[in-house]
Amino acid sequence: MNEKIQRTIFHYLKKRKVKNFVGVPDSTLKYFIDECLKNNNIIITTREEEAIGIATGMTLSKSDSLVFMQNAGFANSISTITSLVELYEIPLIFLIGWRGYLPDDAPEHLKIGKIQPELLKIVGLKSQILTEKNWKVKCDWALKQIREKKPCALVIRRMFHD
Amino acid sequence: MIRKEAVKIIANHIGKNPIISANGFMSRDLFEVNDKESNFYMIGSMGLASSIGLGIALKNPTKKVFVFDGDGNILMNLGSLVTIGSLKPKNLVHVVFDNNSHESTGNQPTSSSQINLAKIAKTVNYKIFVVQSKTKLMSILKELKNLQGPIFLLVKISVSNERSKRVSWTPKTIRDRVMKSL
Repeated sequence: MNEKIQRTIFHYLKKRKVKNFVGVPDSTLKYFIDECLKNNNIIITTREEEAIGIATGMTLSKSDSLVFMQNAGFANSISTITSLVELYEIPLIFLIGWRGYLPDDAPEHLKIGKIQPELLKIVGLKSQILTEKNWKVKCDWALKQIREKKPCALVIRRMFHD
Repeated sequence: MIRKEAVKIIANHIGKNPIISANGFMSRDLFEVNDKESNFYMIGSMGLASSIGLGIALKNPTKKVFVFDGDGNILMNLGSLVTIGSLKPKNLVHVVFDNNSHESTGNQPTSSSQINLAKIAKTVNYKIFVVQSKTKLMSILKELKNLQGPIFLLVKISVSNERSKRVSWTPKTIRDRVMKSL
């Protein structure tokens, strides 16, 4: 996803009262994260589960939160998602960078990348893929989910190599 | 001193302030000795009490927020100490009840007896206190009132066979009660 849209998404969500951006950096989401940094509106944690915990505390304080991570970190977080986020129904938006979407991505991403859609489905987290064309509609969908007290995920595919 | 006694002393002392209690016997003890709206009882997600506490502390700067952690729990999320120490929430009191064991799963040993947890906390910007007796615990609690956090209170406890009942609130009710209280 291009730089301009990633930066715009941050402001779009922030304007709609998503107040906290917590997570572990990912290159697919680089510009989105950079915009959080520029606006001094970010907590970078040591692990993804930690980010989910902090965002949960903020959400319990009635302050809407987004957790960003790479899909490898999503895999780290499965137990936290099932036994905290879903069990207590904590309305968080997950923003996940999808490594291993391209079949010739780096080898460490291929297995998780391949099962990513299925993983989300099995965990039971509703998700949508965010693109340069549909991002507004999908962000609105995610905002609607959390206002109805449901957690959800937005996924951005990594379409490039470096 | 066993965990339940220490939990009772601290919970009674701090009144209505929020407590985020770790999964396992920790939450069960708190539920039995001092149930209140602003207690967030964790059932699963071991290790994350301090992270949830940090999120609540950052968003509620006028409230003193307490985390009731165990040694096994904090060892599972040591990174949390680093994040807390770098953000330095003044209103966070991180209590670790240390019995050197995973009591909830059958008293298997943790490594907390081999290392110095308080020193780790000190290195990452906490103010640290270590107590072993009830009298010392009560005097430290009085002292804490006028101190700025993040505070790390290591309470050395012994293992016990006493078992508290399970938390009877549903997770959703726990969530709603806490949200209402904040």
